[in-house]
Amino acid sequence: MRTTLNILKKGEKAIIKEFDVDAVPLKLLEMGCLPGNVVELLQIAPFGDPLYLNINGSHVAIRVETAKEIEVDLIENN
Amino acid sequence: MLSSHNINVALIGNPNVGKTSVFNQLTGLNQQVGNYPGITVEKKIGFCKLPNNYKANILDLPGTYSLNASSIDENVVIELLLNKNDKLYPDVALVVTDVENLKRNLLLFTQIKDLEIPTILVINMADRMEYKGISLDIPFLEEKLKTKIALVSSRKGTGIEELKQLIVNYKSIPKEPCLNASVIDEEYFEALRKTFPNQLLYKLWLVITQDVNFLNLDRNEIRNSYTKSHSDLKRLQQKETIKRYQFINDVLKEGLKIDLNSAKDFRAILDRVLTHKVWGYAIFFFILFGIFQSIFEWSKIPMDFIDNTFASFSVMANENLAPGVLTNLIAQGIIPGIGGILIFIPQIAFLFMFISILEESGYMSRVVFLMDKIMRKFGLSGKSIVPLISGTACAIPAIMATRNIENWKERLITILVTPFTTCSARLPVYAIIIALVIPEKRVFGIINMQGLTLMLLYLLGFGMAIFSAYILNKILKIKGKTYFIVEMPNYKLPMFKNVAINVIEKTKAFIFGAGKIILAISIVLWFLASYGPGEKFKNAEKIVIEKNLAKPLNHSELQNAIASQKLENSYIGLMGKTIEPAISPLGYDWKIGVAIISSFAAREVFVGTLATIYSVGDSDNDNTIKNRMQAEINPETGQKIFNFASGISLLLFYAFAMQCASTIAITKKETNSWKWPLGQLIFMSGLAYLVALIAFQILK
Amino acid sequence: MIQEILAFGILILAIAFLIKKYFWKKKSDKNCGDDDCGCA
Repeated sequence: MRTTLNILKKGEKAIIKEFDVDAVPLKLLEMGCLPGNVVELLQIAPFGDPLYLNINGSHVAIRVETAKEIEVDLIENN
Repeated sequence: MLSSHNINVALIGNPNVGKTSVFNQLTGLNQQVGNYPGITVEKKIGFCKLPNNYKANILDLPGTYSLNASSIDENVVIELLLNKNDKLYPDVALVVTDVENLKRNLLLFTQIKDLEIPTILVINMADRMEYKGISLDIPFLEEKLKTKIALVSSRKGTGIEELKQLIVNYKSIPKEPCLNASVIDEEYFEALRKTFPNQLLYKLWLVITQDVNFLNLDRNEIRNSYTKSHSDLKRLQQKETIKRYQFINDVLKEGLKIDLNSAKDFRAILDRVLTHKVWGYAIFFFILFGIFQSIFEWSKIPMDFIDNTFASFSVMANENLAPGVLTNLIAQGIIPGIGGILIFIPQIAFLFMFISILEESGYMSRVVFLMDKIMRKFGLSGKSIVPLISGTACAIPAIMATRNIENWKERLITILVTPFTTCSARLPVYAIIIALVIPEKRVFGIINMQGLTLMLLYLLGFGMAIFSAYILNKILKIKGKTYFIVEMPNYKLPMFKNVAINVIEKTKAFIFGAGKIILAISIVLWFLASYGPGEKFKNAEKIVIEKNLAKPLNHSELQNAIASQKLENSYIGLMGKTIEPAISPLGYDWKIGVAIISSFAAREVFVGTLATIYSVGDSDNDNTIKNRMQAEINPETGQKIFNFASGISLLLFYAFAMQCASTIAITKKETNSWKWPLGQLIFMSGLAYLVALIAFQILK
Repeated sequence: MIQEILAFGILILAIAFLIKKYFWKKKSDKNCGDDDCGCA
C-alpha cells in the first residue's frame, strides 16, 4: 500500500519517494519537493485541509489533493 | 569624467525575502509604479545614486521562485531577462535571498547565472544569522557560485553601501554559469547547441518550455526540430530542478553552517496558536473587527476635514472667479468631483495599512491557510480573503489583489463577487437613508437600531458575495489545474518604511485610476444636469416667477426654485423622468432616479446629486438635506417619498446594484473580456431591481 | 465667451478620456515602450 503525504500525522517526518510529474506542479518541486528530501507535517488546518509542511527547509501549505499524489517513506521516531 | 553613468539593475528574488525592503533601501521614495503594456502586472522602477557619479535604474521585478513561470507576473521576469533589446535589460542582476531560506532561494540564482548576466548575490536578513545560529563562508560561496556576495540587512540598513559599490563594479563580476545543467540530457542539448550556435543554451530551453519568445526565432522551428513530448519536457524540467538542488546542496554543505544549539524558533509557537481550530478563527475575527472599528473611528475626522475644505473651495471659486459657465463647472462639478474622490483616502489608506501590516508580518498566509477549506466550498480560494476584505474599502484595488490566485476559476469568481461587499462609497448613501427612515431607538436598551441596520447591510453584502460565489461555482464550467501552494514565511515585525511606501503607492493608484474616471463622469454629469433641451429649461426663470405670482418668493427661495425647475428639465432630469415609470414600483420618484443614474459614476455622488436636486446650496449641511428629504411628498399619493418602505428598498438596491463604472473597467481589464463585466452588470442590476421591488411592495 | 469655450473644451476632454478608457482597442501589446502608458 502506498503511503502518501496526506497520511502523515502532525509532527511526523517522511522522505519523499516519488510522484507523477503531471500531478504535482513544477513549482512545488522548485520549493524543494524532490525525491530524497525530508518533509515534516507541521500543522493541519481545521477541517483537515490544507496541510502546512516543512519540505526540505521550505515552509509551505498545500492542499490534500496534491499531497495525495506524493509517495513517501515514513521516518520512525526514535 | 564628471558625466554620470546609468546602470540598469534588475532586482529578482523569491517572495518574502525582503526584496522590496532592499528596493526601498536603495531608492527611498524615488520610485514609480506603472504597468507593463497590455497586462496588469505592476512595473516598479526606482533611481539610486551610486558612488563615483554612477546612477542606477533599478527595476523591481515580481517575486518568483524560478524562471519556470506559473503566472503572468513570473512571465514578465523571463521576458525581460531574455530580451537584450529591451530598454530595461539589466547590466547587472541582483538576486535577493533570505539567509534562512538560502537553499531554495539559490535555485533561482543558478537559473539567472545560466543567462550569463553579471549577477550579485544579495543575502538579506543578515541580522537574523546570529539568532538562528547560521554562519557563512563568504569567500567559498563567492568562488563556487561565481558571483560577488553582499551581506545585507534591509531592516537594519546594513550592507547597503557595500552593495552599491558592488553594483558600480559590475563589470568585474564573472558571467559564467555556476553549474552545467545540460548534462541532464547531453544528446538533446548538444543537438540544440549545434543548430543554434549563437544562442545561449539556457535561453533556448526557456523558449521551448515557456510561453515566451524574444529571440527572433520561430519557436515552432525549434520545437519541430527537436520534438519532445509535453511529458518528456516536464520530466526534463524535473531533472533540471533536481540537478540544480544537488549543486546547491553540495555548495551549502561547506558554505553554510547552522549551530542548532543557538537556533531559536518562535515560528512554531505562534503557528500553533494562530492556526488553532478555535483560537485561530477567534483571533482572526477579533483582528478583523478591530481593523474595521479603527478604520471607521480614525477616518471620521480626516473625512470631515476634507469635506469641509472642499466645500469652502467651492464657495471660494464662486466668489473669486468671474461668473460664467466655467466657474460653475469648476465650483459645482470639478471641485466637488475631486473632493468626492479625495474623501476616500483616509479609509483606503487605513485599510491598506492594516492589510500591509498583516502581510508584512507573515500573518496573512496563516489566514489564507485557515480559510482555504471553507472558501473552496464556495468556489473561492483561501487567497480570496484579501480581496474580499479589501473590497470593504474599494472594489478596485481588491480586484487587482486577485492576481495571486493561481486557479483561474477561483480567481474569476473572486473578481465577480467582490463588488458585493459593502465598499466605502456606499456608506454616505446608507448613512443618509438610515438617518431618514430608521428610528433612533435602541433594541434591548443597548443595541442602537441605526447601527444595527448598518451592520446588517455589511453582513448582507458579504453574505451575498459568498452566496453568488456558490452559485457561480456550480454554473461555470471552467476546467483548470487546481493547485494551491502558499509559502508560510517567518513572522517578522512589519517595517514602517515598507508599509508606508506600500500605502502611498496603493492610494496613488486608486486616486489616479478610479479618480480620473470619477472626475470625468462628474464633469459629464454636471453638463447633463446644467443644460436641457426645450423651453421649460430655457425659460426656467420666467416659468417659476409666473407660477408664483400669487405668492412671490424671496430671493433665495426664488433661486432655489429656478434651480429646481432647471434640473427637472435638464438632460439628466429628463432621463430621470423617463425611467420614473420603471422605478416607481420600487418607491422612487424621478429625483431619486436622477441620483441613481449619476451615482453610477461613484456611489457617493448619490448624496451630492440629491443635495442639488433638493436645491440646497451646500451639500455638507446634512441636516438641511435630511429635513428637505424628510419633507418631500409624492404629489400623487400625498405620502412621504422617503418612508420606511422606500428607504429599505433603496438600501437593498444599493447593496446589490452593480457598482461604479470604475469597477466595470477594472473587471474588464483583469478578465480580459467584456463578457464578464457585462454579465455582472446585468445580473447585479437585475437582482437589485427585483429585491428592491419586492421589499417596497411588501413593506408599503 | 472664453468661459464657455473652456468649459466645453473640458467636457470634450472628459468624454474623449472616457471613450479611450472603455472603447479603445490597443493595437499591439508591446508598442507602449517602457513608460507608464496610463493603462493603470
